[in-house]
Amino acid sequence: MTVKRQYRLPSCTLTLEGLTASSSDLQSPLTVLMNAECQFASANQPPLSGGREFLDSLVTAVSYYGQQLLSGVVRPLDKEEPGPVTVKADQGGYHRLIVQSTPLEAMENSQALARVDVKLTTLQFHDLMEAVDQLLADTQTLPDLTSQLQPVPRQLVKPTTPIVQRSAPAVLGAATLAAAGLALFFVPVPEVKPPEVKPTVTRESSTAPPTSTPGTPPQGDSANSSPEDFTQSPAITDPDTLSLLQRDITRTLQQGWPKDAKPSGDLSYRLVVSEDGDILAYKYETDLALGEVDRTPLPELAFDPVGSLRSSQEPVAEFQATFSPDGEVVVEPWSTAEAAKPSATSAPPELPEIASKIKDSDRIRQLNDGLYDRILSNLQPLSASEPLTYRVRLNQEGAIVAYAPINAAAGLLAQETPLPQLVNTAASGADQLDFMVVFTPAGVLQVSPWDGWP
Amino acid sequence: MPVDSPTRSSPSLILAALPTPQLSTPECPRRARIQVDLLLLATEALDLNSGETLLTLAQDLGLDSVVKGRVNLWLLRSTNPMRRYSQRRPMQLEEAKALVTLIGHQARRLTVLIRQLLMGYQQLAAQQLSPDHHLRLADYLSRFRSHFRARMNPRRAGVIAYDTDEKLDQLALQLLEQLLLCSGVLGTQRLWASLFDGEVQ
Repeated sequence: MTVKRQYRLPSCTLTLEGLTASSSDLQSPLTVLMNAECQFASANQPPLSGGREFLDSLVTAVSYYGQQLLSGVVRPLDKEEPGPVTVKADQGGYHRLIVQSTPLEAMENSQALARVDVKLTTLQFHDLMEAVDQLLADTQTLPDLTSQLQPVPRQLVKPTTPIVQRSAPAVLGAATLAAAGLALFFVPVPEVKPPEVKPTVTRESSTAPPTSTPGTPPQGDSANSSPEDFTQSPAITDPDTLSLLQRDITRTLQQGWPKDAKPSGDLSYRLVVSEDGDILAYKYETDLALGEVDRTPLPELAFDPVGSLRSSQEPVAEFQATFSPDGEVVVEPWSTAEAAKPSATSAPPELPEIASKIKDSDRIRQLNDGLYDRILSNLQPLSASEPLTYRVRLNQEGAIVAYAPINAAAGLLAQETPLPQLVNTAASGADQLDFMVVFTPAGVLQVSPWDGWP
Repeated sequence: MPVDSPTRSSPSLILAALPTPQLSTPECPRRARIQVDLLLLATEALDLNSGETLLTLAQDLGLDSVVKGRVNLWLLRSTNPMRRYSQRRPMQLEEAKALVTLIGHQARRLTVLIRQLLMGYQQLAAQQLSPDHHLRLADYLSRFRSHFRARMNPRRAGVIAYDTDEKLDQLALQLLEQLLLCSGVLGTQRLWASLFDGEVQ
């Protein structure tokens, strides 16, 4: 049965003619479309009409264009199957509906225009869209035609900024990098200075460990060097480096020590360690240590330098390592007391000239009093039989930068005074001043500015 | 067919009519937040009582579990980054669905007025006359301008783009056309899909 469906809006009427599925049932939906017609009220032109292809294309074009009006995002045209109907924006807020007739229709009806172009106002377009929407929502007409409203995928959207504009930052960045590289090419490579090593050499003292007798070399390590080979090497004196090395060595020994090899008693060794933590040489301290050397990790860990490097000028540090039966490794700097004494006596008695002296008399008085109090609070009874005189240098904050003994007894007994432990080597400062500190045999402490009271 | 007095139904049913888009994050993109707030601003310029109507409408539609009263509505609209007191809270998709549904209903309620204004504007434009000659249109435009300037942060780049009366009028007319397109049978769905143009995978 042929039926007609009409969607009428103020400025646009959409009429569909078709066949129902069942000729007897009045409720049966329109399923086969014969003709679709679209008539605008104000436009004085024949109605746009066509078959199913025209209607499908009209629905798609109107849907896409309506969405474009709402979001401002233009959906690119379907290149593969351009339908006969397109809608696009026109100048002055108008819209254009363009219908191309298919070649087949043009052949059948030579009177039909090859191309119809209708100018629509927003209201007219809205009515057209509303008619389409009502058709889509109508389940009684073409039930297979439903709305396919989908957002435009990101891949289809053309970026709003042209490629030249988008690539400008990247090009600018690359150019800047190139320019910076070119500029830095002419800057000389900075010279790397190794940290200065103090030229003091630890002399082998008379109380050195028993030298190995030529007839009894340690088992298995005859090729290894002994600590005596390194007596000419400069010693590492920086306390920070020493403590770091001490930690390193302890860890190395602890890790390299097999768990099942426990000594029968405390094994004590003297180690010579290079600046980068390699054990250059070691020597037993006791006979037990000599006999059970294979139970320690030392033979494996000892680094045998190439002959030419032996007794080179590489700075070394000496440690004492003790392996206890319960699996503990204790590493201590080698004979601290012995090392400290020569350094104290060999320290230059004259301090360098002060670049800029503290001149404020109030500050000098404060520093003087502060120094007196600090020494007094740490003072132990001295075994001196004559006055001990020192020159003590303070910085602006009152920290002791350095000191120097003035008489011979002062040099010998410096360790008995509180001064060595009060020295703050890290302290510095532009303004400094010297003070004279005298410890009398009677136990009286005298402190005064070196250059006299201001 | 447009229905003037919607019957009360469960919010999940109304919101389910709007499909959840395939977004990289479960929150509304920036353009969607701006668009929703501007469309609501346009309905306020059309109808002075729009704020109250929105809340009543939300109650009638059973959306008051999503749009919980005046303060919540203000917070939701303040997710628009152009706002003077812009909130850094995200707008969830459920909340956006509720607001889009409300916009669709408001647009349908105001269809007659919107058509009148657009018709008047077209007639004036055809005669090369300024919108001031149409009383109600001039009223709408001036109200939109004052609403916009009172609520948007003038230091924002997006707001600086609308620094003159002419540019704001163009925006107001564009929003009026968009409201008209939202008013139809499938208007709400169309608006919803358009919010995520160029954002979905």
